Amino acid sequence: MRTVYLNNAATSWPKPPGVAEAMAQAVADMPFHTGRAPARGTDPLRLCRREVARLLDVEDPDRIVLTTNATMALNMAIHGIGLRSGDHVITTVTEHNSVLRPLEHLRLAEGLVVTVVGLDESGAVDEEQFGRALGRGARAVVVNHASNVTGRVNDPLRLFSPARRTGAVTILDASQTLGHVPVKPSELGADMVAFTGHKGLLGPAGTGGLYVAPGLDLEPSIVGGTGVRSDLATQPPDMPTRLEAGTPAIPAFAGLAAALEWRRENAAGFEARTQRAHRLLRSELRRARVRIIDDDAEAPRVGVISILLDGWEVEEAGYILGESFGVICRSGLHCAPLVHHSLGTAPHGTIRLSVSGFTTEEDVARAGAAVRELAA
Amino acid sequence: MTITGCHRVEDCFDGSSVLEYVFDTPWSREDVLRLRQIGEVDYYPHFPRPFFRLRGHDGGQVKGVQGETTCRVILPGQCKEDAKREFEALFCPDQAGER
Repeated sequence: MRTVYLNNAATSWPKPPGVAEAMAQAVADMPFHTGRAPARGTDPLRLCRREVARLLDVEDPDRIVLTTNATMALNMAIHGIGLRSGDHVITTVTEHNSVLRPLEHLRLAEGLVVTVVGLDESGAVDEEQFGRALGRGARAVVVNHASNVTGRVNDPLRLFSPARRTGAVTILDASQTLGHVPVKPSELGADMVAFTGHKGLLGPAGTGGLYVAPGLDLEPSIVGGTGVRSDLATQPPDMPTRLEAGTPAIPAFAGLAAALEWRRENAAGFEARTQRAHRLLRSELRRARVRIIDDDAEAPRVGVISILLDGWEVEEAGYILGESFGVICRSGLHCAPLVHHSLGTAPHGTIRLSVSGFTTEEDVARAGAAVRELAA
Repeated sequence: MTITGCHRVEDCFDGSSVLEYVFDTPWSREDVLRLRQIGEVDYYPHFPRPFFRLRGHDGGQVKGVQGETTCRVILPGQCKEDAKREFEALFCPDQAGER
């Protein structure tokens, strides 16, 4: 039985040609560390910074801090702005635990005041509620660019623009969007953008990063060896070194660099195929008469669809789709617990299917047939 | 078919536990139907790889796919040990309750 992989919102697969080879080459080659030996032209960290800066349309690649994942980047952002007891932070119900848990940690440990803005009747982030929260003042606003449960793309500028006018720091979680939709901090009003390398960028797991706008000085959460300015007793002030203590995962970033270069050459066609696979899958699922969560046809989306199947528990349906039909998807809360209360899918969550530009029409047809069989 | 291994997958909020059992041979149709001794079996032989689910008399559940050498067992919050012993007795009668 051939496997159909529809779990790209968790991690993309397959990876583009050249990614695995670049990683293997980085392991096979004589090791070197950026800043700790003469850097060569193929330094994967520099390549990654340069390619991500190009994607984000930012001038200075050194404002791209490389991390092991988006969770680390978001923690770096949230912990780095010096939040204190009584500070107010606004976020949304659509956030992943990589935002919710750091904020809850700070609420409990430091007395942070957190407002979680819900959804309006259309399923978008409730701007009126957000405006009321902002009226109380805020040190920071953390918003995801797209929900990893419904795929709906938020409009960060409508939240960040008024937030910035009040002096709040704006943090965008682009885990589900970078590589799929334009993410330009200057156009979105984002002071920081957290991203992962293994989803829309098609790189390996263990890669991610944080864009930090010029003039914003984050307090490092982790300090230590950097390979440069070893004479200093404290963390060097220069970016990105200030926020990148310790030896980086060079083979993983070699893979990400290869993926980013491949994407640069193939981005337009690849994303068109992603959107086509998304439309086809949504159409197949509508034919299956399942309950599609937040099925507003007008809302902009990445290739993520959540469904419920009458007569089947969420976990069980996900298991059957994978084990009986070979359709790999994901079931449960997807690490975004709060949004399920708004969507009416708590406490068990949804079955989530997510495509990529490598998803074929045949894949979609097979997934649709499997879901129809279960829904019958 | 005999049990060769078992490990805990997770403990749930409602007090139930999920275990994964490993067997020496894949689940056959006969093995699935044997589960009827301890509860009600839903069997979907028309799926590409047939799915089965046991709803045990004691509230436990067994879920798996024919042709696989594993299955998942959900033990209810109440009578957990009884449900475990009953299931294991079907496939490892000599060691039931000792695992």
